[in-house]
Parts: sequence; C-alpha cells; structure tokens
Amino acid sequence: MTQDLRYSALKKTPFHSRTSMASRTNKYYNWNGYTVVTEYSTTELEYTAARNGTSVMDLTPMGKYEITGDHAHRFVDYLVTRDLSEMKDNTVAYIIWCNEDGKVIDDGTIFKFSSTKFMLCCAVKIYNWLNDSAYGFDVSISDVTDTIAALAIQGPTSCSTLKKFGAEDLEKLKPFEMREYKIDGFDILISRTGFTGDLGYELWTDPKNAEATWDNIEIAGKELKLRPFGMNALEMTRIEAGFIQTNTDFMAAEDSLRPTRMRSPYEIGMGWLVHLNKSSYFVGKKALKKEKEESTTERCLVGLDIDGDKPAHGSVIYNSKKEDIGIVTAALWSPIMKKNIALASLKRPYGIKILGNEYLKITT
Amino acid sequence: MSDNSNFDAIIIGGGHNGLVCANILARKNKRVLICEARKECGGMVNNEITNYVPPVTTAVSSSLGGMQVNYLSKTTIALSETGQHIRLVGNQHIDHKSISTFSSQDADRFNDFHEKMSKFSKTLGSFMMASPPRIMNNSFSDYFKLFKLGLNVRLLGKKNFNEFARMIGLNIADELEDNFENTLLQGLIAHDSVIGSNLGPRSPGSLINLLYRMAIHNNSLFGGIFQIEGGNDQFTKHLIEKCKSNNVEIKTSASVKNCIVEDDCAVGVELINGEKVYAKKIISNVDPRSTYFSLLGSQNLDTDVKRKIKHHRSKGRVAKLILDLNKLPSFNNCDDIDLDSRMVVAPSIDYIEETFNPSKFDKLSLEPTLEICIKKDSDQNPKLDIQVQYAPYKTDQGWENVKENYIESIIKIISKYAPNINECIEHKKLITPDDIELEYNVSGGHWHHGEIQIDQLFMMRPIPGASQYKTHLDGLFMCGAGTHPGGGLTGISGKNAAKAVLDDF
Repeated sequence: MTQDLRYSALKKTPFHSRTSMASRTNKYYNWNGYTVVTEYSTTELEYTAARNGTSVMDLTPMGKYEITGDHAHRFVDYLVTRDLSEMKDNTVAYIIWCNEDGKVIDDGTIFKFSSTKFMLCCAVKIYNWLNDSAYGFDVSISDVTDTIAALAIQGPTSCSTLKKFGAEDLEKLKPFEMREYKIDGFDILISRTGFTGDLGYELWTDPKNAEATWDNIEIAGKELKLRPFGMNALEMTRIEAGFIQTNTDFMAAEDSLRPTRMRSPYEIGMGWLVHLNKSSYFVGKKALKKEKEESTTERCLVGLDIDGDKPAHGSVIYNSKKEDIGIVTAALWSPIMKKNIALASLKRPYGIKILGNEYLKITT
Repeated sequence: MSDNSNFDAIIIGGGHNGLVCANILARKNKRVLICEARKECGGMVNNEITNYVPPVTTAVSSSLGGMQVNYLSKTTIALSETGQHIRLVGNQHIDHKSISTFSSQDADRFNDFHEKMSKFSKTLGSFMMASPPRIMNNSFSDYFKLFKLGLNVRLLGKKNFNEFARMIGLNIADELEDNFENTLLQGLIAHDSVIGSNLGPRSPGSLINLLYRMAIHNNSLFGGIFQIEGGNDQFTKHLIEKCKSNNVEIKTSASVKNCIVEDDCAVGVELINGEKVYAKKIISNVDPRSTYFSLLGSQNLDTDVKRKIKHHRSKGRVAKLILDLNKLPSFNNCDDIDLDSRMVVAPSIDYIEETFNPSKFDKLSLEPTLEICIKKDSDQNPKLDIQVQYAPYKTDQGWENVKENYIESIIKIISKYAPNINECIEHKKLITPDDIELEYNVSGGHWHHGEIQIDQLFMMRPIPGASQYKTHLDGLFMCGAGTHPGGGLTGISGKNAAKAVLDDF
C-alpha cells in the first residue's frame, strides 16, 4: 500500500513558485523543515552576482520569533550575552546566546521596533528555549517563521535595485538600521543586514506579498546583474566574510549530544559579544565569568590561509609531533581573494600563538 | 559588596531549620538576624500541623549545646472495624506477641523484615546525616562520599547487597504482600511508607520512602515516633529561647520581598515594607521554588535552572482535620492508654491505593486514609487531630465547594471505629494543602517542601547543581526541608546548612 506522504513532506516557502521556476538544477536542501534551493544554475555564477551585482535569496525558513510585552527589552537583554540596554528603536544587533554552562546555542540578529516589541532571527529552532527563558518576565513569544516571508538582497547593486523597486532614500540607511516601507499596498520592512560581508539588505513582508515582491525585484534588478542565489553560494560568501555558521563551525549547545562538542563564545571568536560588565544578569554569565577569570577556554576558531589551490574541507591540523590539534570547519578557494582559505577550530594554545611547525594535511 | 553589612547572616524564615541554623551560627560568634513573615517563629512545627515528631539526633542536639525537651514515645495502632486492632511499639518481643495473635507466621516474618529494613535504613542514614556530595563539582571529597555510600552498601554482604539493589526502586505493596498475610498489618506499614508523599503503595519507589522515614525515626518502623511533653510547640519555644541566649535577633511579621543582588552576589534582603537589611550571607529557609522565583528572582537565573525548579515536584497531598471535642469519644475495643496512641485507619493496601487513585486526577477520595491523634491539654477540651492522606493540592471543583462534604466523609470513616464521635464534636476545621501554602508560605503546601522521591533526594535535592545548601547565587544559601536530607522535623538541614555557611565565611 502506498502511503500518502504529502502531508508530512517539507513545507514550501511563499517564494517556492518563483524559486522552483528559477532553478535549473532541481537541487534542494532541507532548512528548518522547508525546501530551499541549493543551487539555481552554477554556484560560481551566483557567487559572482553577490560580489558584483545583486543576489536574491529566499530567507523564509530562518527562525523568526516575535517578543512582545512590557518586559520585552529587559528579557532580550537577559537572553543574550551582548549589552543591549542602550539599543535604539529601529535598529538591529548581531547577538549570540548561551546556556547555563556558557556554551553557545546559536547566533542571530535581533530587531528592535520599540521597547515592547522585538523580533529575533536565527538559524535553528529555539521556541522552547525562548519560552522557558521567558518564565518570570512579562513577555509573550510567538513563532512568526511561517507568517513572515523574507528575502536577502545582497551585493554592490542591491541598494540601486531596491531603490528601483520602490525603497526611497534607502542609501541613507546605515548598517544595522531598519526602516518600514509601504510598497504596492503592503508593509515591507527593510534592514541593512546580511550574511555576505558585502553591501546588502534583508526584506521582510507578508507571505501574500511574496510572489509580487519577487517579480518586482526581478524587474528592478534586470539591468543590475540580479540573480537568485542558493545555499552553496551563500556558504562561499560567508566564509570569505568570516561569519560563523551554527552546526557547521560549532554545534548548537541545545542540539549537541556530546558536551565536548559545545563551544563557549571565546572558543568561536565571539568574545567581543560577551559583556560581563553588563549590570543585569544574563543566561550563562556565571559560567562565562568563571571561564574568563580562570582562563579555562580550551579552543579557538581561526582563519587559515592555505598553500595550493585545493580547498581543505574537513582537514585535520597537526603539530610538529604529529598530534591532532584541530580541524577545518569550513573551507573554499576564494575567487575574490584568489586564495585558498579556511576556518579551523584549534586546541589552545595553538591558534593563539605560533609554536612552530603546525601543519595541515588536505585529505579530501 | 556593601560595607554596611550589619549582620553576618540573615535567615529568611523562622521554621525549626532556620532556628537550628541560626543557633549554630550564633554559637560561632556570628551576628544573626531571622526574618519571619508570620507573627511567630516555628513554621509548621506547632500544635496544629504537627502530630508526631522523630527524635532530634545527637549530632544536631550537641551542635546546639543540648536540647532540653522531653520526648514521649507513642504506640501505633492499626484500627480494625472488627475491633481486632494491631498495636506496635517498636519493641521486638512486644510487637511479635501482638502480631502473633493474628498470625504467627507474620509475627516471625515481621521481625525478619524489620531487621532487614533497619539494616538498610542505617546504611542510608549514614549518608543522610551529612552534607551530600555534589556530583557536578568533580572534587575528590565528593567522589569519596559517593564511594563511601557504595562501600557501605557493599559491606552489607553479597546477599544483602543484591537485596538492597532489588528493593531500592521497588514498591512497598509487592514487598509486603511477599512477606505478610494479614491485610491490616500490610495496610499499616504501607501507610507509613506513603505518608506525606505523592505515591501510592503500588507506585515504584514507595519503598525507599519507608527507608527514609525509618532513618530519621531511630531506624525503626514504629519505635521512633514521639510527641513532645507539653505540646510539640515546646520544641520551637526551646529553640527560640536558645536564640535569645545566643543573641540571635528575631524580627517577626517581617516578610521578605526579595534578595538584594549586587555584582551577582546576594548582599541583603528587602522587606515588604521597603526596609533593607544587609549581611554577608543570606540563608533561605523558604521552599526551593519560592527561594528561586521570589527571593532570587527569575531575572537572575539561568534558563536551565528555571526549568529544573519548575519541574521540582512540591504539591502537598496531606490535609489536616481538627475536631474540637466536648468529651473523648469511645473507640471500639480501645482503653485509655490506646487513646493516647497514634491510630491509623488504613485497613489494607488496596484501601490506600483506592484512596490514592482519585488524587492523581485532583479529585477527592471520600474514603481517605487517616492518622488520628488525640490531644488533651489539662485546661482545654480534647481535640482530635486527623492527618488525611491524599487530599489533593487543588480539587477540580474548588476546595471551598467540597470542604463540608469532605469533612463529613472523614467523620463517617471515624464513626466506624468510634460510633459516638458525632456527639462529641463541637467545632470542625479542615486545613487543606493550599491553606498550608497560604498560611505558612510554602509553595504547594508540601510538608517536606518537595517530594521525597529518589530523583529529588541526596545530591539531587532540591535540584542538581544546588545541593550542598548553596543556591545558584553566590552568598545565598538554603537551609529548609527542600534541601538534603529533607523534611521530617529533624533539624539536620539547618545544621548542615550552618556548616556550609561557616565554611564559606
């Protein structure tokens, strides 16, 4: 008997009719239970669009949570390691958050509309974590992943594209600022954020408006080298920009089965986001303070510049005694730098100072 | 930390553990303040809530410089509708004789059973009296403590070791049915295994409850049950007198709003009236849930800690019915000495289990299990103090609507054993778990501030990471029944907490 699996299959995003039409490869990827395109035509072409023109990517599967209530600001400040007490309305901040052992659960961006309304965006699902953390605060958390359609518009011509699309004065928007627009009768929120390291914006709107938005942006960007952009190309740009990815460069503490796989912010280069002098408590503060005071940080995440042309995916790094001291978490041959680069997680003191003769074996 | 630390320690809650802790600290020349929310200290050790008490251990009394209270040993009677009651005093020969009138086989087996249980409770007790190891610490002494318990259990011998391992998760009903044929005897022991807990006789883990109870009652099933001469509140009065002579300051009607936290450390308390008092150490004698969510505040807690405290089980299941009498009722086949005993209405294991079942669904059982205590002061009318097991914390219909009916059903049960009870009653008062919660500021209204079950005992009491009397906030300690070894009016929590606080100075 054939079972009808359609109802338990992956969900389609509101852009699916357009993304699937644009895809020539039929390569899809499961992101948070949604079908997203891995590669539309060729990864290199898409990458080039992000670096030289405009790239458009379907961001809808990203976890989106609305935090509202009288204590919303206090709660957000309590949830994350960064000091957000001075955060202004209509701005966005890059954040990480930890568990009680000071191990990173995920990184993401927080959008502040007002002191009683925030939106949190991140890669993994964290509704339970937010809800459990919110106990004792006058806030309500709702998962708005399905009710907001999101696009990333990235690349040097992205501002021009969006201006043509109808976003007036967009060039005045500074990094990590956001503004609400009304375009074709729909509310569209545009934030100057992104995951490519280039000029770029993210666009948030009603799912009903998704297809029209996609079409209109496509028209607006016709002469600005616009191209849809898949997950593979995103991976290239984010490594070049030095952005870390949860469950790739480190395991999310809530998903990690082995405690040795969890990482503290100091172990993934995120120490700058930990404000131990924040006046109020935040989740993991006690453990992070202890780690800092006792210098018990065990690992570090470093960028590597590698000889040769072959990307060092998954390679192991050794010291002069041939002992394993770390592993490459992400690697590529960077077209823009014309260099072979990688991110690697190393056991300290390797990576903090050079002891001599550490080497890497490309095994792939 | 603030410089205006007027006191060395502030204890929040003047229950017996708080008083014990205060005295020990004061005897080490610490300036101690007790903030008690009610008009008087003593918490749940009083003539209203407490029927019987275990003896205070020599370790506790010597750390207080001796306790001058007189303990009166009490006999336990399992009431039978036919008048064939079983009377047990905790003496091997007397108990044997008493049981053998029903079954000589049970009498012999009772002695064997008692010896075995007593051995196990001693093994457990050696672990119970000291501060528990902290498994998250990785310290040598903590592992050594665990190793010692393991060793003590192993030293019981191979046969006993296997038996211990078999029994630790067992339900009491299986064990009793394997040993005894008399249902009244089964019912009596099962009653003492589940008393104060959220378990039925057939719930796994109900046996360890009995071992726990024995460990604080002189390692005896029925031998360590006492009342204090002059009323159980003499215990509190004596501790308060000691406080006075040790210069402990006591503030009553001083409800604490929250802890003052500076630089991630507890430095004082703020009272409801806005007054702030500072001290080097703050010790909470309040139940764990209130300590964490009210005193410490959820904004100062890690998410995982909140989860653990939210899951901490602390719903009370015992109500108290107090009947003021104009004369003593006559119980079938009971003499005057019997009326001075602890009387238990638990005719069989199945009876208790039937009582337990509705409580799982927040419903009332109209045939509850009872422990009856007659209190007669010379100058007052006698009182019947009845502990009603498995009264739900909240009922689905609301306590207000069912209270009258519930009281009547309890009296109806008693009238089976004392037919003239109705003529004797002048006034009735039912104290439900949620009344206890309100009156004594214990969330859930649980006797022990939290269930005594294997996942909430030892280094897991009240929650992993908060054992050894420390909380997750530096400078804030716990000394109440929610900590190891738990409730039972032993004062051990208060004593161990005092040691932990002194070690931290």
